[in-house]
Amino acid sequence: MSRRQTLALLAVVGICIALYLTLYKVGVIGVLSCSIGSCETVNTSKWSMLLGIPIAAWGLAAYVALLLLAMVGSGESREESVPIARMLVALAGWSVLFSAWLTYLELFVIHAICIWCLTSALLWVVILAVCVVDLRAVSRAE
Amino acid sequence: MADKGVDGGRGRRSGVVNKQRGNSPQRFYVVLGLLVVVGALFIVRAARAPKVRANVTTAPITPATAEGYLMGNANAPVQIMEFADFECPACGNFAVITEPDVRNRIVNAGLASYRFFDFPLPMHKNTMAASNAAACAADQGKFWEMHDALFRNQPEWNTEATDNPKKIFLGYVKSMGINTDTWEKCFDAQTHQSRILANQAEGTRRKVQSTPTFVIGTRLIPGAMSYDVFKAYVDSAAKEAPAVAKADTTKAKSTTK
Repeated sequence: MSRRQTLALLAVVGICIALYLTLYKVGVIGVLSCSIGSCETVNTSKWSMLLGIPIAAWGLAAYVALLLLAMVGSGESREESVPIARMLVALAGWSVLFSAWLTYLELFVIHAICIWCLTSALLWVVILAVCVVDLRAVSRAE
Repeated sequence: MADKGVDGGRGRRSGVVNKQRGNSPQRFYVVLGLLVVVGALFIVRAARAPKVRANVTTAPITPATAEGYLMGNANAPVQIMEFADFECPACGNFAVITEPDVRNRIVNAGLASYRFFDFPLPMHKNTMAASNAAACAADQGKFWEMHDALFRNQPEWNTEATDNPKKIFLGYVKSMGINTDTWEKCFDAQTHQSRILANQAEGTRRKVQSTPTFVIGTRLIPGAMSYDVFKAYVDSAAKEAPAVAKADTTKAKSTTK
């Protein structure tokens, strides 16, 4: 499996997590399954919205963007595209920073941990690592 | 755009591409499909089966007869009960998004009566205060106004926002034209605590396990739902024997505050 295909699969995992949290936030899912931490405390806090949109929905948008980029970048003619590799690194880098800020809020401001949010943050770290490897590989191939 | 062409041309000569060309796209799509199916199943299951168990009260207060807060004609053909927690986000979303349609098109149209029952959950520290605020507003005929304000403004007064929700509630009280002194005395004395616990006990008796949970006619339906789904349940209940629905709800006497 290529790096871009791996990214697409990771994006699907992220979409599932973000969609789950978004559906909870909009009321479709009544209770979060949360065996560790306090997901509801985090997802009902004032930090769970940004510009009137649930944080989870922003995450969902980022994962969908990642999926689209990875799928487009997996095409035979684009598997070595440096611009796509750069866009992937930019998206993943930004998402890691944003997730780090959210994790900081959970630990030091809200004082509650949402295991789904933490999983998503770790997922972005893995995604960034794959993106960096991808960028280095395609740059070397140039 | 030029980059893509250049990359494409170079990529075909590189060892990396040659290696990737050996990958089977079929395997990728199979794994992708599996992930999508597993994710979708998980989400659908989560949407259908809430897992948190309700708080079973052990308070030393003997519950009074359960009193719902009635809206509409008590003798309407279908009886609807809602068991909700004022701090629960799903209840808030239902109250803000779906309930206005339910009121206008079902309750005001005379198709059903609607009773709200408090069902405070243990993880929400401010929900009991909110139930008290609403019960004290009901004394002055403003239950539904307070109900709407509480659900609409959940982020202002919930557990995360404040340790002193009363201060926020007072703002709502003033804006509704409620006598502040009377309301405050009632709120501080927790005058209606037994009524709230009775409402909760009624939910426990009916095996409510999550909020919101609805009883429409003879059916217990957990979870928020869209207006169309709600209306379908009401239509279905209307077709059933009216006597059955009536007998079911009269077990919990209701007031018309």
